[in-house]
Formats: sequence, C-alpha cells, structure tokens
Amino acid sequence: MRQHPKNETLAAFAAGQLDEGRSLVVATHLSMCAECRGAVAAFEAVGGEMLNSIEPVAMSDGAAARAMVAIDHEPSPVAPAKPAPRPVWQAEQESLLGYDLGPWRWVAPGLHYRAVKTPEAGGTRVFMLKAVPGLKIPAHSHTGTELTCVLKGAFIHDGGRYGPGDCDDADQDDAHNPMIDDGEVCVCLVAMQGNVRLTGFFGRMIQPFIRI
Amino acid sequence: MQAQAQDIGLIKAALPAGLLAKADRLHDSPTQIDAVKSPAELARLIEAVAARQDRAAFAALFDHFAPRIKAFLMRGNTPAAAAEELAQEALLTVWRKASQFDRQRAGASSWIFAIARNLRIDSARREMRGKVLDLEANEDAEPPAPPDAELLASEREQRVRAALVHLTDEQLRVVRLSFFDGKAHGDIAAELELPLGTVKSRIRLAMNRLRDVLGDLT
Repeated sequence: MRQHPKNETLAAFAAGQLDEGRSLVVATHLSMCAECRGAVAAFEAVGGEMLNSIEPVAMSDGAAARAMVAIDHEPSPVAPAKPAPRPVWQAEQESLLGYDLGPWRWVAPGLHYRAVKTPEAGGTRVFMLKAVPGLKIPAHSHTGTELTCVLKGAFIHDGGRYGPGDCDDADQDDAHNPMIDDGEVCVCLVAMQGNVRLTGFFGRMIQPFIRI
Repeated sequence: MQAQAQDIGLIKAALPAGLLAKADRLHDSPTQIDAVKSPAELARLIEAVAARQDRAAFAALFDHFAPRIKAFLMRGNTPAAAAEELAQEALLTVWRKASQFDRQRAGASSWIFAIARNLRIDSARREMRGKVLDLEANEDAEPPAPPDAELLASEREQRVRAALVHLTDEQLRVVRLSFFDGKAHGDIAAELELPLGTVKSRIRLAMNRLRDVLGDLT
C-alpha cells in the first residue's frame, strides 16, 4: 500500500501554488508514483478548463502583431529528441536537481540532518534526515505542515509502512511518533513549515539541543 | 451546433448533479462555456503550428489564449503589464514547443495552462535563481500512450467539465480562489468571512470530490 500526498496538495502542485520546498518533495514523489502523476494531469485539466472559461482581459493594441513579428525571428522549430528519463532523485549520487546540499550534521544518536538549499523565501525549510534502523523518533507534532518523501529505507508510522517514494503529508493536527524500520538506513526528504514541537518526555528534554 | 452547445449549457445548469454525466454522454458536441472553439479545434491549431509553422493557426491560438492567460495571471495579482508580457511569452512558448503537444496526453487548454503556470512560477523565482523544476522531464519518461488514449483524453475533458458542475457553488468558489487565484487560505477566510478550518475542509472536500470523479481516467 503506497502512501500519497493529499489530493489538495497534488491539486495545489498542479496549479503552481505550492512553495518551492513543498514542490520539490511532491516532484520527488511524482518521479516514483505513476498514480499521482495521473492525478496531477487530472488537476491540470481542471486548470485548463478554468483557463478556458475565464473572462478574458483584452491584450493591448498591437499585441498580436508583436507576437507575429516575434515568431518570425524564431528559428524553425525542430522536433525535439525525447530527453532521456531523468529521475528527480538519484539515491546513488544523492543529488537533488542541482540544489546545493549542506553537510550531514549530527542531531541525536542515530539521526543526521542535511539542509537542502532552496533560495525561495517563504518559511518552508527543506532538509534530508538520515536515521539508523530501529530508531524511534521522539513523539512530536508541528506548528505548521510537514511533507515527507522517503528516498530509501522505510519508517513505520500510524500503523503504515512508508518505503521509498511514499509520502507523508501532515499538518499541525497530526501527532508523529515514527520508528525507522529494520534493515536499511532510512533517508527522507522533508519540507517543513513552522517548527517541530516535541511532545514526549524525551523530546522535551532534547528540544533545546536540536534545530529542526 | 453552437446553439446546441448553449442549450446543453442551460440544461446542465438546470439538471440535478446526478443527471449531468448522463447528459454529457448523450451529446458529443462541445459543452464548454466559450463555444467559439472546441477542444478538438484548439488541438488541431497547435498541431498545425507543429506540422507546418502555420501562422494563421498561431494567430487564432493567440486570439483565444493570450487574453485568457493575461486574465488568469491578473487574478493571481500579477500587474497588467507584466501579465501581458507573460502571456506573450506563453504563446511564444506554444510556438516553440508545439511539436511536444500530444493530444493523447493532455487537452490543448490543459497543456497551455501548464505552460502559463510554469512561466508564472519561473518569473516569481527568476530573481532568486535561474532554475525551476522541470516537470516535463518526468512526463517525457512516460511510456507511449496506448491507442485508445485519445478517447480517454477527450473523455477526461468532458468529465472535468461535468466534475466542476458537480461541485457546490461554495466549493467552486474556494477552488477558484485558492488554486486559480493563488490566494492564501487565511485571505480566503477573511474574504468570505469564514473560519479558516471551514475554508480548509471545503478545499479538501472539493479536491477529493474532483479526484473521485476524475481519478479513474488517469
């Protein structure tokens, strides 16, 4: 059973209304999920229908003539070669669409953190988490939304198993108490608005020491 | 034909939701609000640009889409002059990328919507960085569309129109404000004088409903 972003998140992605960080996490999920690519295509069709039925605003005089001049200066369009499939996420290279990545930093025993540098402002932080098998993340909730895509390994949360490509789309109402599944180191890509609020006893103890 | 399309629009407005899908299946003529050009006609225009750099076809596309893209961008708070420039850029992109259009994958309006959306994202991020997510790279990795995909794509367009009519007025309103106009949930709540939670749950319900109606076509 795969875990997907919420429909409203996919719709916002299709409409171009997600901030850069959340877009990156959704795009990562899409690169691994045909079903959600289909859903985004459906929501794009909704956008197309809205575009078609909008009340038009007249272009200024001469706009069409300018466009005709512009296409005269275009080189003849050539049929493009189909680009080779290019996965958004390549686990081996740990490269992410050319975004600059910070160094892995130690957060807590068995847990490392690495920043993904997205220049767009807007209060969403993007980072990767790397956790060893069997690690229990302290119970926590969020002051904003948190969108996570598993890149490798798996974690167990809310009775579900989240493996590579699976997405957890949580808001401040969801309490989290995930555990890393046995077997493999788990790496996740996370876009987080607001801050983590650690709710467990252990969590409240380490809260002052972590900055995620 | 045009009169028939308008009749269907009137019928759709009067019919209870459950009968609309049936009404759509009974008529294969275009049922969109703007009956000037059918989706198939728009698709043919893009294909004419791709096949032979057809200038008349491009001019027709410009007349249809440029004022709509300008309107779309202005509703998202892009100033008129910038919206006009982006609409020009969008149509120039249509000229350049026409050969990538595949009516088996997407309708003409959906394809051009995605172009305008990407340009808007691009222009918003341009001053911060030169790079945006290349969504099309993923689309190109898809296997070839099956032979009946064209039927599915046109059925999808029908279904999208029917699905939008299925939404309640309140749902349609928040969907437009949120996804089309790019308003933050808090601003929508203030504008409609609704609690934030109500706005969020309306959006969630509307999107789930659209997905229910559209999901099995994808």
